[in-house]
Amino acid sequence: MSATSAPQPVKLSLPLEYQQALFQELRSEDELIVLARGLGLMRLVTNLLHSYDAAGNNLIIIVGAEDRENAWIGEALAEHAAISMSPKARGLTVVNTDFTSVGAREKMYARGGIFSITSRILIVDLLTSLLNPETITGIMVLHADRVSTTSLEAFILRIYRQKNKIGFLKAFSDNPDPFSTGFAPLATMMRNLFLKKASLWPRFHVVVAESLEGKKKKAEVIELEVPMTDSMRDIQNAILECVEVSIHELKKANAGALDMDGWNLDSALLKNFDVVVRRQLEPNWHRVSWKTRQIVNDLTVLRGLLHSVLTFDAVAFLQHLDTIYAAHSPPPGSTRQNQSPWLFLDAAQTIFETARKRVYAASTRPAVAGPDIDALQPVLEELPKWSVLAEVLEEIDRDLWFDPPVRDDSNGTILVMCSDANTCRQLRDYLQTMHVKPKTNEPERAKMKKTKDVRDDDDDDDDDDKSKLSAAFMMRRKLRNYLNWKKEFARVSATLFSENQRALNGATDGRSGQPLRGKAPPNKRRRVRGGGAIGAISGRAENGSVVPLADRPSDVAGLVAQVQATEEEKAQHQKADAVADVVADPLDDMEDYYQLYEMQDLVVIHAYDGDQDEHVLEEVKPRYVIMYEPDAAFIRRVEVYRSSHNSRHVRVYFLYYGGSVEEQRYLSTVRREKDAFTKLIKERASMSLVMTTAAADAAHGHGAGFDDPQEAFLRTVNTRIAGGGRLAATAQQPRVVVDVREFRSSLPSLLHGRSMEIVPCMLTIGDYVLSPNLCVERKSIGDLVASLKDGRLYAQAEAMFQHYKNPLLLIEFDQNKSFTLEPFADLSSASSASSASSSSSSSTAPPSVSSDVQSKLVLLTLAFPQLRILWSSSPFQTAEMFEALKSQEHEPDPLTAVRAGLDRDMRADDQSFNLEPQEMLGIVPGVTPKNIKNIVLETENLREVANMSQEELEPLVGRQAARQMHEFFNRNVVEE
Amino acid sequence: QALPQRSSRSAIQVSPRQRGNPVLAALRSLPWEYSDIPADYVLGLTTCALFLSLKYHRLHPEYIYQRTRKLQGKYNLRILLTLVDIPNHEDSLRELSKTSIVNNVTIILCWSAAEAARYLELYKSYEHANFSAIRGQQSSSYAEKLVDFVTVPRSVNKADAIALVSNFGSLRDAVNADPDQIGVIAGWGPVKVRKWVAAVEEPFRAKK
Repeated sequence: MSATSAPQPVKLSLPLEYQQALFQELRSEDELIVLARGLGLMRLVTNLLHSYDAAGNNLIIIVGAEDRENAWIGEALAEHAAISMSPKARGLTVVNTDFTSVGAREKMYARGGIFSITSRILIVDLLTSLLNPETITGIMVLHADRVSTTSLEAFILRIYRQKNKIGFLKAFSDNPDPFSTGFAPLATMMRNLFLKKASLWPRFHVVVAESLEGKKKKAEVIELEVPMTDSMRDIQNAILECVEVSIHELKKANAGALDMDGWNLDSALLKNFDVVVRRQLEPNWHRVSWKTRQIVNDLTVLRGLLHSVLTFDAVAFLQHLDTIYAAHSPPPGSTRQNQSPWLFLDAAQTIFETARKRVYAASTRPAVAGPDIDALQPVLEELPKWSVLAEVLEEIDRDLWFDPPVRDDSNGTILVMCSDANTCRQLRDYLQTMHVKPKTNEPERAKMKKTKDVRDDDDDDDDDDKSKLSAAFMMRRKLRNYLNWKKEFARVSATLFSENQRALNGATDGRSGQPLRGKAPPNKRRRVRGGGAIGAISGRAENGSVVPLADRPSDVAGLVAQVQATEEEKAQHQKADAVADVVADPLDDMEDYYQLYEMQDLVVIHAYDGDQDEHVLEEVKPRYVIMYEPDAAFIRRVEVYRSSHNSRHVRVYFLYYGGSVEEQRYLSTVRREKDAFTKLIKERASMSLVMTTAAADAAHGHGAGFDDPQEAFLRTVNTRIAGGGRLAATAQQPRVVVDVREFRSSLPSLLHGRSMEIVPCMLTIGDYVLSPNLCVERKSIGDLVASLKDGRLYAQAEAMFQHYKNPLLLIEFDQNKSFTLEPFADLSSASSASSASSSSSSSTAPPSVSSDVQSKLVLLTLAFPQLRILWSSSPFQTAEMFEALKSQEHEPDPLTAVRAGLDRDMRADDQSFNLEPQEMLGIVPGVTPKNIKNIVLETENLREVANMSQEELEPLVGRQAARQMHEFFNRNVVEE
Repeated sequence: QALPQRSSRSAIQVSPRQRGNPVLAALRSLPWEYSDIPADYVLGLTTCALFLSLKYHRLHPEYIYQRTRKLQGKYNLRILLTLVDIPNHEDSLRELSKTSIVNNVTIILCWSAAEAARYLELYKSYEHANFSAIRGQQSSSYAEKLVDFVTVPRSVNKADAIALVSNFGSLRDAVNADPDQIGVIAGWGPVKVRKWVAAVEEPFRAKK
């Protein structure tokens, strides 16, 4: 709006008072800004960047930006540059995943400008001096809340501050939550960020409140509490019960580790209760039993259900349940009781049954088997919010008609905001079809169907019957699709699990399967087995009496007939399906926009999308905003939008289900944020402020070690080495060659903190090379388990032995994880199981117990007797260990380290692979560690491999493997 | 009457020095017998183990080195079964790790006598085992492979995998599908869709 005191006259777009205050503050000082979510942090960042950009002649680094933010910053900078016509502005350069070559990067850095660099690349460039820290004008850290003592970002800042004391450093965060846990979190954070000043801007900050509320005309807000239907409430309560029981099971199984005293049912209403539980178990995650893990996974599923019962329509919810059920049912014939415990509860039955009743219900039981029209009646409960939404739209419509408002700046658009893309789709679908009644007179419907694109001639229909709104049309269509899907799905799961099925059939005539199935464990009072699909088709109805959900095929047929009868003709039915396909029409790129009324008004349905919502508001300029689901940040965005534009009127409708999880979540987010800010403000008040950067260095221990002459001297006269024969070797700084992929862990940062020279290289073999003989493969516990399972570790060990004399396997525990591999509680059962299997006789397959880490570790040492294992309780400990290990060794040569393991004709560059697709490829049957290289070199990506014919694959992998691969991709589970 | 020597093949041989060690009480599922051996336990023709409690090690740091020396490079795989029974184990472990390279022993940590016994049993029972369990060549059914394949990208779970394939019929169609088409499936939110599509489209080799 106006020029500020910035050195260059630049045009800024910060209309509100608090935004300008913040900007001034940031221009003058280095500080950490914590701004309440929704108050426009990104806008502040882009304006600030622009003010530097316009000045030119600088090198500014943005750390921690996500892709979307990069896109936004880039756009905004270009826009600003165009508006203020600053010739020196150069816009943003994004440096991410090795896309730019080293040489090009060096040139770019020399040219200067604003860079957003992925932390992993930035740290490597700083360490290799590709980017000299002294040339940096300043660093901006986004998402400062994610910076922890050992994180990469802290490492970057440490190197930056070591070499460059004058450059600016500003940190931003819009998430106060992480600052409110732990001991003196703000002080710790400030130390990590090398900052002295924190500036907190909650919504209740005086200046913020004034700028948003001071104006005469505030945004009108109309709250609409929508009651849930009885069945929705029943389902929600049943899910909560399941959650409670699961938690109870967890407590029972992990008495020592899980401190759940503060747990009550209300906690289940919190947003991330499963994450909370997971975090509590995290220190012992590698020790908990298999069952505990499953329950924790169940909690995630249940939390998802809590959300979907409110957002999915009845049919989609039932379909979702079916899928969950199929995925969680155990492979038949398994002797272990590995079904999720919640599925055995009465409450689970309530969930499934009620969900089904919302879609269809039996009116009378058919006496004779056969297509009985009355057998099942579609119920098709509608979500209560739908009709409310329709009413609101109608009200707005009436409003516009009777009381046409004065034309102002806003577009008069109606903006509907909801939580995700699926809800968007659902609402659009509903709004399109709500005026269509399934049994209206024939010609009109025919007309409607003649043109497939409903969007265009929806208007005609609207005029005809506005009287009654219902989702019946949409729901019937969905039900029809659902029934089709279910038929297919039954076949799919039958195919998918047929192997298991066969195994079961093989077992039933023998000893194990059937009898075990017969005597259910005591806690298995009811089985919800056969939730429709599998039970009905595969004929495993031996416990049919307790299959509440399996519908008789005849009944289903009746239902199908019932639904289709209204459609009368098959041709029409197909056309209807075509209409249904509009939902997934790939051409609908602009899908969120469509015309509804004769006026040039639009109804825009959009999903909440973090900071991007600001753009939506600015671009759409809505007069009416309907918040289909509550979102605290968005309310603020509307406030900001409203206050930023004096001449725009906004009316907000706010829909939520009363007494629902949704409402509770909303309230608790608001409360939590407020608490977090309050706590932060208190801490800041009592925080001592004498934290100079030098002091911070010292606090970091060896941070300043580099240029400390005393230390350098001590190094040369290391008395620990008898005779001083290796003086020359110790005269130089100890050096460690580190694989660039290892920079994800905190170890390189800690090694650097112990004043070792870190040489980042692309290593094929090993993660750390300590000396010409010592090569270390680092495994965190999770890694260890995974790499033992998929054989990666075996191959890595093999490779290390080819190139190094003393390969080491480092098993590194987390700082906060318990330092033990011992499983809790079920050690006795595990060892008794092992004893049972080993003592029973050698005829039973021995490696059935070898699933745990210990036994695999045993195998590994048996396979590689010369492999030494380092056990470290934390990265800190590892760093010390490395120092001790290499104290009497020669320094490693980076070049040899890089060359080790490379094929002679392969250049180092060819070795960089993307891991995820390769891992997927490795799973495909027929692909072996040997032929995977061929495939990777000859093909582009997974999609290409999937589309190759057997003949094309053959030259790469051979006939047999080609057939296997082709079959894997092309096997059709639906048609079989 | 002396027992025939043959029995020692299937039993863990224990040095009489270990008498009174609670590990022996926990050693239940395999037979063991006392025998005059330089190591504490002999777990196979080429495998032996020394037992060390860190508490003891702190008091007598030289003990373990004498014992190692007495092995005289006899066994191919020499396990140093270390019982972590003190809270500040860092210094001892660092020292042991360092010397393990020189002394040619492999350190295995355990945290209780029961776990130590389990390791001994495992070593004995795997004496002739093959290594397929850690070479990752476990064959599994089509469904399992399928789920494994689809769930590689983080945040995609089992239910999503089944929903995906049941929706598209074959994996090939799923790989070729548009983000929009996948997004329609229940459970596939935008994050999952993005991750899946990225994994499928991303080139195997990182571009320079």
